[in-house]
Amino acid sequence: MAISRLLEKFLFTVKQFRLMSGRDFFINRYLQLGWEFRGIKARQAIRINQTNAKGKSILERLLSVGVKLEKIPFLDSGYWVSGSKVSVGATAEYLLGLYSVQEAAAQIPPALFSDLKGKTVLDACAAPGGKTVEVSDLMGNTGVVVALDVSKKRLAALANHLERCHFSNAVVYNMDARSASKLNLKFDKILLDAPCSGNFASDPFWFKRRTLKDVERNSALQKELLCEAEKCLVPGGELIYSTCSLEPEENELNMDWAVKNLNLQIKEINCYGEKGLTDVFGQTLDPSVAYCRRMWPGLTQGFFVCKLTKRGG
Amino acid sequence: MKQLLLFSSQFGAKIVLNPELVLERSKRYYLVSERLKKLARGNFYAAGLYLGKIKNGVFFPSFNLLNMLVDVAENKVILDKKAAWLFICGRDVFRTGIMRVYGARGKGAFTLVLNDFGECLGFGRIIHSLDDEDARVVIQNVLDVGDFLRREK
Ligand SMILES: C[S@@+](CC[C@H](N)C(=O)[O-])C[C@H]1O[C@@H](n2cnc3c(N)ncnc32)[C@H](O)[C@@H]1O
Repeated sequence: MAISRLLEKFLFTVKQFRLMSGRDFFINRYLQLGWEFRGIKARQAIRINQTNAKGKSILERLLSVGVKLEKIPFLDSGYWVSGSKVSVGATAEYLLGLYSVQEAAAQIPPALFSDLKGKTVLDACAAPGGKTVEVSDLMGNTGVVVALDVSKKRLAALANHLERCHFSNAVVYNMDARSASKLNLKFDKILLDAPCSGNFASDPFWFKRRTLKDVERNSALQKELLCEAEKCLVPGGELIYSTCSLEPEENELNMDWAVKNLNLQIKEINCYGEKGLTDVFGQTLDPSVAYCRRMWPGLTQGFFVCKLTKRGG
Repeated sequence: MKQLLLFSSQFGAKIVLNPELVLERSKRYYLVSERLKKLARGNFYAAGLYLGKIKNGVFFPSFNLLNMLVDVAENKVILDKKAAWLFICGRDVFRTGIMRVYGARGKGAFTLVLNDFGECLGFGRIIHSLDDEDARVVIQNVLDVGDFLRREK
């Protein structure tokens, strides 16, 4: 009896897994959200590190070693690699910290902060540090960046990035961002580049790997991170939330939840991407969610970004 | 701190660091600003400018420290493009790849290795006098920026 119940439970789980995962399942969801699936691979891109590259003809230098670049129209310092005889992650210019290898959409979140110079910034889920370096660069190496991550291994990569790019304004902790308030600090700006389910454009095995259960688990973790971030933000402070997931549970639905449950409001932003969805699988969301930006894979990988501020500033 | 200054002196460089602003964590040394120092709790993973670490009693400099030395070091060599590329691939320096020499030229001395833009690629030890016209390999690679790639492996 007990065995047959166990078997039944197992078969039910398998059925649920089949129903809530797989390529067709997700592609159908995207269609319901208004996007027709196209198999796309994210293009390689770099970001010029302005603090270090000042006065250096970095584009010419890269061209002279066989790296052809194409300016990304919606980014200040971003270039697509349109052809290269060498690995862009191994040139002297890269090793000297004059640029970083960073996908186009991933360069957007730090650029959405206003006036970073001299500020106290939290990079809550920071490793391997692509955006920490970008934030430090946008701050002109002034102020302070507090960078947290739960993975010590990934923090080693972050520390290497900071050393390679010679930034000196960061302090890094191996810490769960859900306890960030234990640092007893208040931040002017918080970057929450949340752990997420990822997307098929940057992971060829994505459809095989992911189920709706992962999405739901990540969504719950992201809510906890948002709660803690809000606690640590000064009134009027800015919070940039981003994921490289296409799933609304990790994006628009979380932002809708945040404006309804936390002391946060969504701000209008002017960047690449489509308006955030306000009608998700029949559910109508707060109209301000439209201010978010959703990037379906195309010119960039799949991505989502939102700027929030804490009320009362 | 003492080992750091000793290391710098090998290049004929004197650097002045405020000991109050040098933090140590797990035998790694960091230079921080006053503001960062106030925020850095004891259990940080990294803070400010990483200067180097001590392992088995030996000081291993960071590239930040080498960069700080560029302007104050006496010993440095400038390499041509090909030699610079080979150097960051971990290779030693041929006499013919050196465009300019500052400071020490004799065997045994340590010297910073720069590219033709004056950017520091690492450092090496002179193993044959730089004036020895018969010598081929003259500087042994001790540390180069290609280390960033090797570390991640
Ligand atoms: C999307 S990645 C961050 C990428 C990073 N911002 C960058 O630009 O290089 C998410 C990171 O969150 C970390 N993470 C997961 N759970 C966390 C938590 N509770 N607190 C802090 N970091 C967490 C993961 O280890 C991972 O490094």
